Amino acid sequence: MKSKLWYLTNVSLKKKMKTKWFVAANLVLLVLIVGFVNIDSIIGFFGGDFNEDQKIIVLDETNQVTTLFEQNVKTTLESVDSDQEITVTSSTEDIATLKEEVKENKQILIVFSFDEENMLEAQVISKKNIPTLTYQLISQSLNATKQQVELAHSSIDPEELARLSSPIQITREILDDQASNQDENMQLIMTTVFPTLILPIFMLVIFLVQMIGAEINEEKSTRSMEIIISNVSPKTHFFSKILSANIFVISQALLLLFYAGIALLIRSVIAPGFNLASLGEGVGSALQAIEATGIVAKLGYIIPLALVLLVLSFLAYSLVAGILASMTVNMEDFQQIQTPIMFICLAGYFLAIMSGLFDGSILIRILSYVPFISCLLSPALLVIGQIGIIDIVISIIVLALFNWWLIHYGLKIYKVGILNYSQDKMWSRLFKAAKEKK
Amino acid sequence: MLKVEHISKSYGSLKAVDDLSFTVQDGEIFGLLGENGAGKTTTFRIIMGLLDADEGSVTLNGKKIDYSITDQIGFVTEERSLLLKMTVKEQLIFYGVLKGMSEEEVLKEMDHWLERFEIPDYKDRKIKELSKGNQQKIQFISAVLNHPKLLILDEPFTGLDPINVQLLKEAVWDLQKEGCSIIFSSHQMEHIELFCEKLVLLVHGKSILEGYVKDIKHDYAKKNILIQGDMKKSDLEKIDGVISVVKEPQDYQVKIKNDEVVPHVFEAIKKYKIRKFVVEEPTLNEIFIAKVGEANEK
Repeated sequence: MKSKLWYLTNVSLKKKMKTKWFVAANLVLLVLIVGFVNIDSIIGFFGGDFNEDQKIIVLDETNQVTTLFEQNVKTTLESVDSDQEITVTSSTEDIATLKEEVKENKQILIVFSFDEENMLEAQVISKKNIPTLTYQLISQSLNATKQQVELAHSSIDPEELARLSSPIQITREILDDQASNQDENMQLIMTTVFPTLILPIFMLVIFLVQMIGAEINEEKSTRSMEIIISNVSPKTHFFSKILSANIFVISQALLLLFYAGIALLIRSVIAPGFNLASLGEGVGSALQAIEATGIVAKLGYIIPLALVLLVLSFLAYSLVAGILASMTVNMEDFQQIQTPIMFICLAGYFLAIMSGLFDGSILIRILSYVPFISCLLSPALLVIGQIGIIDIVISIIVLALFNWWLIHYGLKIYKVGILNYSQDKMWSRLFKAAKEKK
Repeated sequence: MLKVEHISKSYGSLKAVDDLSFTVQDGEIFGLLGENGAGKTTTFRIIMGLLDADEGSVTLNGKKIDYSITDQIGFVTEERSLLLKMTVKEQLIFYGVLKGMSEEEVLKEMDHWLERFEIPDYKDRKIKELSKGNQQKIQFISAVLNHPKLLILDEPFTGLDPINVQLLKEAVWDLQKEGCSIIFSSHQMEHIELFCEKLVLLVHGKSILEGYVKDIKHDYAKKNILIQGDMKKSDLEKIDGVISVVKEPQDYQVKIKNDEVVPHVFEAIKKYKIRKFVVEEPTLNEIFIAKVGEANEK
């Protein structure tokens, strides 16, 4: 019977993987991932530039601020860790000539002058709209320049001026031993990095449920189920579907990682100054910020726990999909019946990406124990320190017990359901089958 | 030998099969008849082990039917049970391996059967591309690839033209010669008459008629007399014991209550010029209609 289980699993896997659809979908995924990772090079190849160098011409009618402004632009660029280069040059030509020059080249003209109250004012002239980030940089630099000029005009001595201009020194102290002093930074990570990480999991769950439903319904609607079940037990058949679907999604996840590796390799070849060894620096502030949160030290236990939760959750989703599919006779019925499960998964996804907003909520802690949601929510809460290892262990135990319960009652339902073609009173039939003694 | 002993199966308040018993010897073709919903499919499912009977037992050569011996059973379902996206070869390998055969054995048998059914070039065609008749042939092949000891045929001739019906009939007879026990279900009574030595007739899950076909026909009281002559239909209708008279192109078909009416009919028409007077047994179709009708009236 064991060999028939593996044979069925193998046939089911081949049916999913040896299709034009699978090859086409993976080619598209490969292209998308490679394209996404190398988007700057691609745009550059077609004549665009993310970090196009910008030239600013300064017409300083005050004869006081050009150097100050240039210094402030440099400081602002450094503070936001921008790779963009902005060159500031001073000009003495008349404004009409400079406007012509701005029209011909993609330059920005800034004219500094004093108003009637001797306050610094600036006129920013460009041919077209200035990119938002560049405009913010200029605006920030202009404000800083104005402050410095006005302070210089006051009677404050230079030392006092330097003291006033320097940023405030913040010392953080957190009294709760459980909380990291980097947790505030973690909120930012949760809203940016985590949604990207769990999106593939959410997609794989959808794949998993749909695949099991489609395959079981195909066998039911063609009545080949009767021949199959006359040769292998419903239990063997059930587990072959669960196994093949889970092997498929795990393989697909590994393929996604492989595609990401290819994308990074391509980037290391085509992007100047990029190499795999300097990946941390290359990916930039995101990875540095993650490292700064102290999460790297926690990964040793977060990753294994998250993987256990993930595998158990995939199992739970596939068990439910199999059980529900056995009670339906076509894909339309299955789509309807699996919708609530998908909504629960979606709720888990949104709760996970918004987990930083529910600091201290008991409801969120309890929800993190709920099967289907726990694989998405618990790791998120663990990362931001809202729950501990004990909570994850509870989630795992709850999920394992839930899976046992699903297998125990699900097999009874499956055995009755797969040979039943009735479309009436599905829930009543389901509960009746679950109550059967054997 | 297949032995079905006192099996019953209920779905809620509906008794699908009610105390049904029969045996099918090796090399015997057995007919399971009944209207739609009479319990045939449930009986087949119980025999195949797909359903557990509430009561009774089913054994094949003395062994209870379970997954250890289902490899010895072939099953042709009433509706096509084929995976439409597979090729013929993939489908036959799939079902063959599930029956415990190796791929090599399946391929060898497949070549033999495709050749026999005159579709040797269909190996790599998808099932969905085949006509209904050819799909039915593939379904039959998938059921007999493993030389089963028991073959269940539920409406096996559906969708086949007369030439292909003949091909399938010969295949069934060959399997019978190999000693395969065959259970046959069909709504076409001429097929039952042609194939089956024994039968059971189910009404509402209960057997109302069982035994050897020839005995059933012989014991059935109502006979038919085929008459050719210059008498009128009304002359025949007024004879005592005559149930009905049907004017056929050549003959009058006279249904009579029992054998004892035959001399009375002959006596009444001997004054006419008689060219034909043949007493024949009723068709299985007539017995089926009459028996099912009686049972439903009860």
